[in-house]
Amino acid sequence: MSRAAALPPVLLGLVVLLLAQMAGLAVSALLGLPIPGVVLGIVLLVVLGLLRPTRAVLRVADPAATPLLAHLQLLFVPPGVGIILELRSLAQNALPIALAVGGSFVVTLLVAGWLLQALLRRQDRRRQERGGAAA
Amino acid sequence: MSALIHLPVFGLALTLSAYLLSLWLYQRLGRPGLLSPVLVTVVIVAAVLQATGLPYAEYLEQVTVLTLLLGPATVALALPLLRNGRALASSAPAVLATLAVGGAVSVAITVAAMTAFGAGEDMLLAALPRSVTSPVGLSIAEILGASVPLAVVLTLISGVLGAVVGPALLTLARVRDERARGFAIGLTSHGIGTSRVLSESTVAGGWSSAAMVMNALIMTVVLPIVAGIVAG
Repeated sequence: MSRAAALPPVLLGLVVLLLAQMAGLAVSALLGLPIPGVVLGIVLLVVLGLLRPTRAVLRVADPAATPLLAHLQLLFVPPGVGIILELRSLAQNALPIALAVGGSFVVTLLVAGWLLQALLRRQDRRRQERGGAAA
Repeated sequence: MSALIHLPVFGLALTLSAYLLSLWLYQRLGRPGLLSPVLVTVVIVAAVLQATGLPYAEYLEQVTVLTLLLGPATVALALPLLRNGRALASSAPAVLATLAVGGAVSVAITVAAMTAFGAGEDMLLAALPRSVTSPVGLSIAEILGASVPLAVVLTLISGVLGAVVGPALLTLARVRDERARGFAIGLTSHGIGTSRVLSESTVAGGWSSAAMVMNALIMTVVLPIVAGIVAG
């Protein structure tokens, strides 16, 4: 631990993230899975974080993960700018796109909000009743 | 000028300055959701490319550094999930039911609207990952064979929608539970919405980022199957 502490924490964290990504990409390619390697990388890190002996890995990754996540949006500028190549097809399909994006956004937002609020309310009430019976 | 734009550092210098300018503007104007820094940066950079005639492919080559960092940044999404996972695990049945219903509603409406109004198959494929956080949505778009820029922009628009009108809509619909508010925003508007609800409360922010990552994991498996059905 004392040796690791002397290494630059951001670079060390970045290496952990890169290794997790590479492991995910390798598994995805080797097994021919239709799941992106980066997603397997997320799953791998979550598993490592849940297991007690490997939990420290997450603490090492943190100094790189925090700044990367804080400016995650900057990384979408290059693919986003590619929209200038698609402006024509975007304009041609403006109505269906607006309805699909706007409609599914509004309905999903409200359905998810209502449903979860109702389910959580019921769950909290049940727990309270059970707690009351025990006491 | 033409010598300047073909310098290998031009793209990165342009992108970073545009991003800083957008951030400054955003903070200066009191963080209006509509002026999401990423959207403003995309518009500025796209305008400069159009004005200078720098081809998109060459710009993309100049900013390889940013594209490369997208991988580790995506993997880092494991951290917010772990951080907020404990609170959600105790409400697992409610959370999973909401994820399933929300995901089904989102996909069904997208497919219905796109096919009813005769949008092309390529448009439909690009619209499918729109509620998934961009890094994962981008990988999904690649797997579906959809246009990546289009998928990214539709995702960004979804995020901005969520940041601008999401909280107000939920209040109007009388969703007051901050856990449910955060979760609904994270499910529909991923990272951009999450940063908005984080300013509302940390509980909502935590539920939002967990919803965002779980939705991304599920959609990775579900969307290729849906695409196979609609496109096949």
